[in-house]
Amino acid sequence: MKKTELTKEEIIHLAKLAGLNLTAEEIVKYQQQFSETLDYINNLNELNTESVKPTSQTVDLSNVCFEDGEQNKRQLSINEVLTNTSSKTADNFKVNRIQ
Amino acid sequence: MDLLGKSVLDLKQLISKKEISADELFKYFHKRIINHDQKLKAFITVLNYEKNNNDGELSGIPISLKDNYSTKKIRTTASAKVLDNYIPPYNATVTQKLLDAGICLQGKTNMDAWAHGSSTETSDYGATRNPWDINRAPGGSSGGAAAAVSAYLSPAAIGSETAGSIRLPAAWSGVIGLKPTYGRVSRYGVIAMGSSFDCPGPITLTVEDAALILKVIAGHDKYDATTSPIAVDDYQTEIKKPRQHMSIGIADEYFEGLEDSLKQKISDSIKVLEKLGHKIKKISLIPPKYAISVYTILQRAEVSSNLSRYDGIRYANDRTYFGAEAKRRIMLGTYTLSYGYYDAFYKKAQKVRTLIIEDFNRAFKDVDVIVAPTTPITALKLGEFEKYPFFGEVMDILNEPAAVAGIPAISIPAGLDKNNLPVGLQIMGKHFDEKTILNLAYQFEKETDFFGVIKRGVKNYE
Amino acid sequence: MNRKYQPVIGLEIHVELKTKSKMFCQCKADYFNEKPNSNTCPVCLGLPGALPVPNKKAIDWTILIGKALNCTINNQSKFDRKHYFYPDLPKGYQISQYDEPIASKGKFRVQNLEFRITRVHLEEDTAKLIHAGNDTLVNFNRSGVPLVEIVTEPDFDNSDDVKKFLEELQVIIRYLGVSDADMERGTMRLEPNISVKLKVKNEKLRVDDLPKYKVEVKNINSFRFVKQAIDYEIIRQIELLEKGETPKQETRGFDEKKVITYSQRSKEEAHDYRYFPEPDIPPMTFDGQYLDKIFRQIPELPQAKIQRYVKDFKIKEQDAFIITRIPTLAVFFESVIPNLKSQTCLPARQVSKLNLKIQNYEQNLANIIINKKISTNLSPSEFTQKVLSLSKPKKTNLKLLDTLINRLIEVNQKTVEDYKKGKQNALMFLVGQVMKEMKGKADAKIVIERLRIKLH
Repeated sequence: MKKTELTKEEIIHLAKLAGLNLTAEEIVKYQQQFSETLDYINNLNELNTESVKPTSQTVDLSNVCFEDGEQNKRQLSINEVLTNTSSKTADNFKVNRIQ
Repeated sequence: MDLLGKSVLDLKQLISKKEISADELFKYFHKRIINHDQKLKAFITVLNYEKNNNDGELSGIPISLKDNYSTKKIRTTASAKVLDNYIPPYNATVTQKLLDAGICLQGKTNMDAWAHGSSTETSDYGATRNPWDINRAPGGSSGGAAAAVSAYLSPAAIGSETAGSIRLPAAWSGVIGLKPTYGRVSRYGVIAMGSSFDCPGPITLTVEDAALILKVIAGHDKYDATTSPIAVDDYQTEIKKPRQHMSIGIADEYFEGLEDSLKQKISDSIKVLEKLGHKIKKISLIPPKYAISVYTILQRAEVSSNLSRYDGIRYANDRTYFGAEAKRRIMLGTYTLSYGYYDAFYKKAQKVRTLIIEDFNRAFKDVDVIVAPTTPITALKLGEFEKYPFFGEVMDILNEPAAVAGIPAISIPAGLDKNNLPVGLQIMGKHFDEKTILNLAYQFEKETDFFGVIKRGVKNYE
Repeated sequence: MNRKYQPVIGLEIHVELKTKSKMFCQCKADYFNEKPNSNTCPVCLGLPGALPVPNKKAIDWTILIGKALNCTINNQSKFDRKHYFYPDLPKGYQISQYDEPIASKGKFRVQNLEFRITRVHLEEDTAKLIHAGNDTLVNFNRSGVPLVEIVTEPDFDNSDDVKKFLEELQVIIRYLGVSDADMERGTMRLEPNISVKLKVKNEKLRVDDLPKYKVEVKNINSFRFVKQAIDYEIIRQIELLEKGETPKQETRGFDEKKVITYSQRSKEEAHDYRYFPEPDIPPMTFDGQYLDKIFRQIPELPQAKIQRYVKDFKIKEQDAFIITRIPTLAVFFESVIPNLKSQTCLPARQVSKLNLKIQNYEQNLANIIINKKISTNLSPSEFTQKVLSLSKPKKTNLKLLDTLINRLIEVNQKTVEDYKKGKQNALMFLVGQVMKEMKGKADAKIVIERLRIKLH
């Protein structure tokens, strides 16, 4: 059975893209687990999909939208907006200065 | 008055006849939660009684919600430490519909963190126990909901399913779980896992309860662009229609690798259906193992995307609080979407998804419903899940095809295996044909009373 | 113009639509002067469980823009998720369009030049960041406002053409009424991509042999700065190339005080946006009927208007150009013309046969407007009155005039009543009648004066 292996660098790069900090142990663990999962999901190559269109959604809908200017029934108060964080000023969210 | 095991319908009658008040009823269940939940750990948040003045189909009925449903001003965690202190400023559509129908919200139930799992063991707040054997898992990710109903801490509960998360815990915990058609019930306000899979649905003790709750929560929602405008059936009426000579499809591909006593129970159940006058037809379906791959790829890609919003700036803890399972899924999802791999994985999976949908469409030209076991094995002991790198997806092998195709499916108890653990039978139907699968499930219930499984389960918690 | 090198410039323009609602929710799209974070909902704040539903008008207006730029409107279109982490991006992805944009493959003529439009697509705007000391503050009022992105092929080779293009594009957008397209207020934003290559003898102006790098410049807030930034960047790149170095592929900022571009200390890796189709939003299909209905909303655009003015009104092309820069000014110009027509008391056909220098009142009007001799803040009839009073005074037979006025007042009682009720047009009607009877041999100013006195 072919083994798909990701290098350590690839795992680190992915973690960066994914916004995750991994420990050294986690990197090794994921390398192995990835391999197992990737080997399994490669079974899709056993199926011929040459002239098959991809499905993005199982509901057969199109052109779903709303009318501009509809009343906004979901507006949040500033209090509600800021209530779930402690990193804020009176009106704004606050983060470390971005260069 | 002995309320133990009474269905939602029964309780509605009592309330309307004024034989019990809403707060008395609430207190009854609240007491049961206090007595049993320390052991079962089905609940994350337990609420006190609050009068609901709305008069509707579920007036005064206590209901619990899985903790991925946004509840305004009530802590919502998705059983994840990232959301440990998150309090939504709005209600999910399902939450609102239930409140408008008059329910009394009992609390929020435990789940696999972010719904990533099939046993509720990956909850950041500890595993829920299976009421049938507290050393075993109740199934997941709606494990808290299923356990609550199984032990009669809730007369009914709302869970959610991405692929198996309602059906599997319903099967392992010996209750009824309904996954509606994708797009039948609004996802607005449900913490997203697999956007093209997630289905809110009821977990109940009777089929009619499931029919009633589905009617309350189903329907088009202008805040969810993937909900269908197709009219909602009157499921309660539909299930009682005398429908005979249904054509029931059985596919050998769904009967491989089953544990013997489980297989026997399924066989017996199928014989019951035949006895009721329905016709069993052999059909062939694409082997479910391919659905595992399709589901794993697409779901993890959507998960990695849906969890991108948790940066800790506007709400919640930062990304260092993600648990191992969440991180694992985010990583794989990121990989399959990344530059150079999209075609090989994501696009390929979408194409096979088309094949699976067409496969079901073909089958449903010949049969009205498809029947199969819900799971290949019954409830596992706690801790066993760690042996598998994609445990959830493997446990749910028989649930994934329906999830991938978006069709509705219901799991009902079909007896107990040799270890006295509940066995689940599932009935799958065409898109938006919940009325047919509910009807057949109702016939089965009337004929067998689920072999006494539900009653026995509730009695264990007298 | 450098003899050895040729700049290769492509543009990426963002236009903020002035719809009432945001792109995926009902919050107000007009976020100016709102208290920070007072204009949000679960959707544009990116709360757990929130879902997007697209704004129909934003889609229609994107089609309008695409059509005005002579693009093909694609029959099938969809939204995609574009992933990256940044504090102004609440979901950790932007809902945008990747491989099935609403419009593509267009072209845009500016004076004698033609530039190719690669695509026009629709997406959502991000929140606003404000740097304050050691912190950056985040305000989500702008998050989710509809944004149209217009991308051109790298068809430009100098900053003047870029400026002309942008100015024309801005006017078109304003004619469509879909955006204020104001660079200073950020409702129109530009990021040019600039590279430089060696000129090859006999090379056609557009060849697909592009340099192997490109530099993107951000933070340019006016057309004037666009020219400065591009010019600076071209020189900088040529200097590097002359040294044998290849300019680094990067994003640079523009410093308007020092008039330089500078390297931004952002990550140098190419972004992997991991685009995939937005699962929460069904795709869009546009059929011919639907599109025709939208296309009918396109008003006469400036280029067509200029041609019509030159042909029908016989005014100078450069004057027509100036008047058509502002949509409301062109409307005003055309609404004054019939008023003036009724005052000269000569049929239009006759006018055109006469000496245009004296009789071409449209050109006179254009001159007056362009030279700002009279404020255009007046109603068309008030403006006309002022125009008439500027025209050369004619010797007036006052006795004849008074007789005429008296007779006309008698005959036109209704009109007199209307005037007394405050209808200014009634006065002009009477003036016109007087002028007609006087066969133009009267000083309009005096006519108006006398009429007014008689009517009181």
